[in-house]
Amino acid sequence: MSAIAFFGAIESGLLFGLVAFGVFIAFRILDFPDLTVDGSFPLGAAVAATLIVLGWNPWLATAMAIAAGFAAGALTAWLNVRLQIMNLLASILTMIALYSINLRIMGKPNVALLGDETIFTPMDNWDLPYYLSAPLLISAVVLVVFVLLVRFMTSETGLAMRATGVNSKMARANGIHTGRLTILGVALANGLVGLAGALFAQSQGTADVTMGVGTIVVGLAAVIGGEAILSTRTIARWIFACLIGAVLYRLVIALALNADWIGLKAQDLNLITAVLVTLAIVAPKMKQNLSKRRRGAQ
Amino acid sequence: MIQVEQLHLTFGAGTPLENHALRGINLSIPEGQFVTVIGSNGAGKSTFLNSLAGEVIADQGQIFIDEQDVTLWPTNKRAGLVARVFQDPLAGTCEALSIEENMALALKRGQSRGLSRSIRSEYRELFRERLSRLGLGLEQRLGDRMGLLSGGQRQAVSLLMATLQPMKILLLDEHTAALDPKTAAFVLELTRSIIEEQNLTALMVTHSMRQALDVGDRTLMLHEGNIAFDVQGDERKGLDVPDLLALFSRNKGEELSDDSLLLG
Repeated sequence: MSAIAFFGAIESGLLFGLVAFGVFIAFRILDFPDLTVDGSFPLGAAVAATLIVLGWNPWLATAMAIAAGFAAGALTAWLNVRLQIMNLLASILTMIALYSINLRIMGKPNVALLGDETIFTPMDNWDLPYYLSAPLLISAVVLVVFVLLVRFMTSETGLAMRATGVNSKMARANGIHTGRLTILGVALANGLVGLAGALFAQSQGTADVTMGVGTIVVGLAAVIGGEAILSTRTIARWIFACLIGAVLYRLVIALALNADWIGLKAQDLNLITAVLVTLAIVAPKMKQNLSKRRRGAQ
Repeated sequence: MIQVEQLHLTFGAGTPLENHALRGINLSIPEGQFVTVIGSNGAGKSTFLNSLAGEVIADQGQIFIDEQDVTLWPTNKRAGLVARVFQDPLAGTCEALSIEENMALALKRGQSRGLSRSIRSEYRELFRERLSRLGLGLEQRLGDRMGLLSGGQRQAVSLLMATLQPMKILLLDEHTAALDPKTAAFVLELTRSIIEEQNLTALMVTHSMRQALDVGDRTLMLHEGNIAFDVQGDERKGLDVPDLLALFSRNKGEELSDDSLLLG
C-alpha cells in the first residue's frame, strides 16, 4: 500500500472515529438505536460546504454544521421522548426528512469546494506533504473531542446520562430527568456526526446528498470492532476503543481494496462493511458456543 | 409528615381488564414513624408504594409531603423528598457502573447535576466510611462493577445509597423478598438500624407478617385497594401472626388463610 493510500485511510479512520463517538453515545450509553446518523453526516457536510461557498469563515461554518447535527439529533429524541414514537422509527423519520432538507440547504445534489478556503487551507503553506497535513489537523480535532467527551462522561451530568441508558427506573428514582438527558445525548451524538460530515466535505472538497448512506453501519463497525480488540473497563478506554476501531476498520478496508488478488473493488465497500459487522457481532457468541460444546464433549 | 387523602387508581379503565387497584386510601404518617405494610397478592401494596414514589399518578385524591401537594409530580421531581429501595436487587443499582459511580449517582438524588466531576476524593472518603459498616469489605472495592456483587450485597448497597441524602420518606418495596433467609435477616437488621439512627420516616412493604411485626412502629394491612386494619402503639405490642389474621377477619368479615399472605 502506498503512503498516500495509507494516510488516506488514517484520515478517514479518524473522521469516522468522530462518527463512532456519536454511535457510541447513542447505542452504548443511551441504548438508543439511532439511524439519524445517515442523515446528519451529509447534513454537516451540506451546511459547512454551503456556508463556505457563501464566504463564511470555515471554522464558523464547521461550528454551524455541529449545531445542525445537534438539532437533528434533538428532533429524533424529541419524537421518541415526547411523542412516544419508537426510537428506531423516530430516527428513520428524521433521516428521511434530512434527505430533503440537505437538498434544500445545498439547492442541488452536491456542492464542490473549488478554491474556497477550508480549515485545511492554511496548512498548504506548511512544509508538509499534502497527504499528511489533513490527518494531522483532523487528529488534533479528534483529540480535543476525545478529551472533552471523556470529561463529560465522568461528570455528574454524564454519569446521570449513563444511568439513564442502563437503568432508567433507578435513574428516575434518583431524581434524574431521563427524557431530557436522552434528548441531550442523542443531540450530542449527532452534533459529533455533523462535525465529521463537515470535516469530510472540507477534506474531500465536496458535499454530496448521497454521502451519508451506510454511515451508521461504519460507525457501528468501529464501535463493535474496537470493543472486540480493546478493553472497555473504564469509560475513557471504551471511548478510545471506538476511535481505534474506526481507524483499524478503514485500514483493513484499504488493505482489502489494495490487494488485487482478492479482486475487490471500491463499489464492494458497503458489502464488505456489512459482512465485517455481522462477523464482529456473531464471533463472540460463536466463541462461547464452541467452548461450551468442548466442555460438553469432555 | 406524609398525608394521603382518598387515593383512587384504576388501571385500564373502560377495558375488560379494568382493575380498581386503590380504592380511597386515607393515611397519615407522622415524622419519624416506621410503618410496615402487608397484604396478599393484588391487595394494592406495590401500587400504593408506586403512587407515593410517583411512578404511577393517582386518578383521584391527594398526596401531601410536609404540606406540599405532590400528587401530580413525576418520580424524578419527587426524588428529593422520596428515597426508595426496590424489590429486585438489579433494579436499584446500575450493574454496568462501578460501586462508587452508583453511590455518586445516589449522592446527588434530588439535587441539580452539573459538569463538575462526579467522583471526588471527599466523596470516596464518605463512600468508604458508609460501606465499612456493612462489614463486607466493599470499602476496598469502590472501583468494582456493581454486577460483580451478590444480590444481598447489592441490596445492602442500595439501602446505603438511598440513605446518603436526607429524605421525607424512605420506601422499601419487599426489599428482602429476593434474598436467602440469612441475607434477608442481615439486610432487615441493617434497615432497622439505619432507620433508627437517622430517625427516618419509612414505609416498608413486606410479604411476611412475622417481619411486619418484628420491625417498625405501626403495621397496616391492605386488602382490595384499601386499609383493612391499622395497628400501632400498645395495641400492636404483643400481637402475633394469628392475631393479625383474627384482626383481619373481624374487620372484613372474611377468612384469610395464612398461606395467601406468606405467598403474596
